[in-house]
Amino acid sequence: MPALPTARLSLAPPNNGRRRNLISLTPLIDVVFILLVFFMLASSFLNWRSITLDSPKQTGRSASLEQALLIEVRADGLRLAGETMSLDRITSRAVAALAKKPDRPVLVRPDDGIAVQEVVQVVDALAAAGVANLSLIRRNK
Amino acid sequence: MRSLRPGPGRGTNDDDRILPLINVVFLLLIFFMLAGHLAATDPFHIEPPVSASETEPDEAGPVILVGTDGRLAFDGKTVDDAGLKAALVAPVEAGVTHFRLKADGGAPAVRLVEIMELLRAAGVRKVNVLTVPKAL
Repeated sequence: MPALPTARLSLAPPNNGRRRNLISLTPLIDVVFILLVFFMLASSFLNWRSITLDSPKQTGRSASLEQALLIEVRADGLRLAGETMSLDRITSRAVAALAKKPDRPVLVRPDDGIAVQEVVQVVDALAAAGVANLSLIRRNK
Repeated sequence: MRSLRPGPGRGTNDDDRILPLINVVFLLLIFFMLAGHLAATDPFHIEPPVSASETEPDEAGPVILVGTDGRLAFDGKTVDDAGLKAALVAPVEAGVTHFRLKADGGAPAVRLVEIMELLRAAGVRKVNVLTVPKAL
């Protein structure tokens, strides 16, 4: 049986005073750096949340609109049933109306020039108050 | 300045000197691997709307992207309205009922409604609008 190359694996310091490595570390660091850069660039830290909405019924059917609670988001403020009021008031009114008739759909109608963010705020407040049957519609053309 | 050539003392071995560096780099690597999650890059940049919603979105289901200027992308590919309509047919027939809508916070809301109407016409009943929580 040939002698095993024990000198390489020996824990005793080699006689030249320098520990010889089994693997050179430099290529390892190169690869680790590349992996690090890859993960830094490719991973996303966005913490997604979601709001569930019913997809809107086709506009132009007034029957569904009469039953529903219509909240308009306009450039000059929020309106519920044609009355301008604050978001808090709209939320409490909607909750009160839904307490009487829970299956009433709530429609949010943004005007032209209203950004998604503003509508999300309104929908958020309503959802937080427990309104489930939410959907967005748009003005009839 | 310390010479890079091996000198006397602790730094006789080059590898001994870079070991702490490797330790830190490994830690960073593990942090980024665990903390972030890999996701396909969107075809255009989206600044999602901020909401107080705490609902975690379903991971399943196709994503529809709506850009600030009303541009659309379906599952990573830029499409127009007709293209979206055509792209919706297959998943709806496969029984997908929930679609995720990733809209830019600055996009016109009317455009969002238009797309939701398109989804409704294709037979989709529920839409998950993706948002991000308020930054602390």
